[in-house]
Amino acid sequence: MSVLERLSSGTMYLICGAIIAFVAAVCVVFLIRAWRMGKAIGMDTKKMKQAVTASATFSVLPSIGILLGVIALSGSLGVPWPWLRLSVIGALHYETQVAAAAAEQVGLSELSGSLMTPKAFTTIALLMSLCIMWGMILSTLFNSKYLNRLRGKSANTPAENRKKGGFGDVAMSAMFVGMVSAYIGSYIGDFVSGHGRFTFAGSWTPLAVAAVSAAAMGLFTWLAEKKNMRWLDSFSIAGSMLIGMLAAVLIGK
Amino acid sequence: MTQNQSREEQMRQYMRSTHRLGRLVSMVTLVMLLGAPFLIGAYLGAMPDLGAVARGFVSVGLVWTVSSVVEFLVYTPMLGAGGSYLAFITGNLINMKIPCAINAKDMVGAKSGTTENEIISTLSIATSSLVTIAVLALGVALLTPLRPVLQSETLAPAFANVVPALFGAMGYKYYRQNLRLAAVPLITMAILFIFAPGLTGSTSMMIIPSGALAISLAWMEYRRHAKEGRV
Repeated sequence: MSVLERLSSGTMYLICGAIIAFVAAVCVVFLIRAWRMGKAIGMDTKKMKQAVTASATFSVLPSIGILLGVIALSGSLGVPWPWLRLSVIGALHYETQVAAAAAEQVGLSELSGSLMTPKAFTTIALLMSLCIMWGMILSTLFNSKYLNRLRGKSANTPAENRKKGGFGDVAMSAMFVGMVSAYIGSYIGDFVSGHGRFTFAGSWTPLAVAAVSAAAMGLFTWLAEKKNMRWLDSFSIAGSMLIGMLAAVLIGK
Repeated sequence: MTQNQSREEQMRQYMRSTHRLGRLVSMVTLVMLLGAPFLIGAYLGAMPDLGAVARGFVSVGLVWTVSSVVEFLVYTPMLGAGGSYLAFITGNLINMKIPCAINAKDMVGAKSGTTENEIISTLSIATSSLVTIAVLALGVALLTPLRPVLQSETLAPAFANVVPALFGAMGYKYYRQNLRLAAVPLITMAILFIFAPGLTGSTSMMIIPSGALAISLAWMEYRRHAKEGRV
């Protein structure tokens, strides 16, 4: 049995699958607790259902993108480990980069299934876990204290500020605007100067996809607001993304 | 005790237990993730090379450590307690969890830092994580028939552009709310990336100055509205 075959063996699926099952159970517990609490404090169940439906539809397409990351890494690390990494704690943009850097550290000329050894694999796997765990550690140690400090009072009493978000809410929306601007700005920069400053020779596909997706979102919003098709709200992001991605296929032809 | 006091007490208890549970499951997940390579090592008969791990951590891990600190500081207030514990356990923050939670929050009209946002954010992140786990499990189970479809040359551009599609749609939602607030960071970032195209590899770090600029502008506008008695 080759190393790659062993990396995709039943034992590997069992180890990785058990951790994924634990995390799935954690998500279910948090989901049920939040739902019950929402009902107990008198939140509208329609709103909660809408949040769940919108989040589910929203997540399908990015999840398929993440599945591609699993496929990409499976050629060198087998299927179960990338499956675990991208289901738990991992990030699509992070895994490939760290796996390649880790391979270099263990003396592999490239991240490749044919070059993989058991020792190289376990070393790469540990490094992949070690590098990205800090968010979880910080969350474990400081989540409560940090939220306390931000609220300027006990994090256990958020109900005092139940209806008005104040500047905190404005700041969070602004932060998100900043986040989107950074990404869209990077697509513009890549197109204009990606292959030399002001050569306009970089890829314009991400920019076009973002524009098509935004236009589709505009259409969905118009239908929801002006034509009273409110049910579209839960699917508008997923639908816009699908149309944007379809544009990428057409541009790519 | 009035109904409001009773609800606040319930919420206080909920938050306390959320922090306890969040810390516990984060620790357990951490132990499992760090333990898995050793368990796999026992199965394969080869333990990790700790020297190479240390060298690798210095070469790539430190950058990610800084990035993790930034993510913790920025995203925890956005997601609230329950949502952030879950998000840091399940990952894929920028490309999925953050936009997903923000979308759900906007859809129901919840405000950051409120009880309602705490509940909606937790529901959103938990649902999103479960969908990802289900899609990946299904994808892995059906890997053989799916691989040629997902890796086809025709569909490759679509999957390479999930993030632009996501930020295009979300951008429309946010930019139309306040075009003036959105224009300044967008133009600033575009100019920055045009003159320093090398920064495109560090876009996730550029969220910080871009976000800081947007927050500063929002603060000035908020103050002006406050003076005019509009907030």
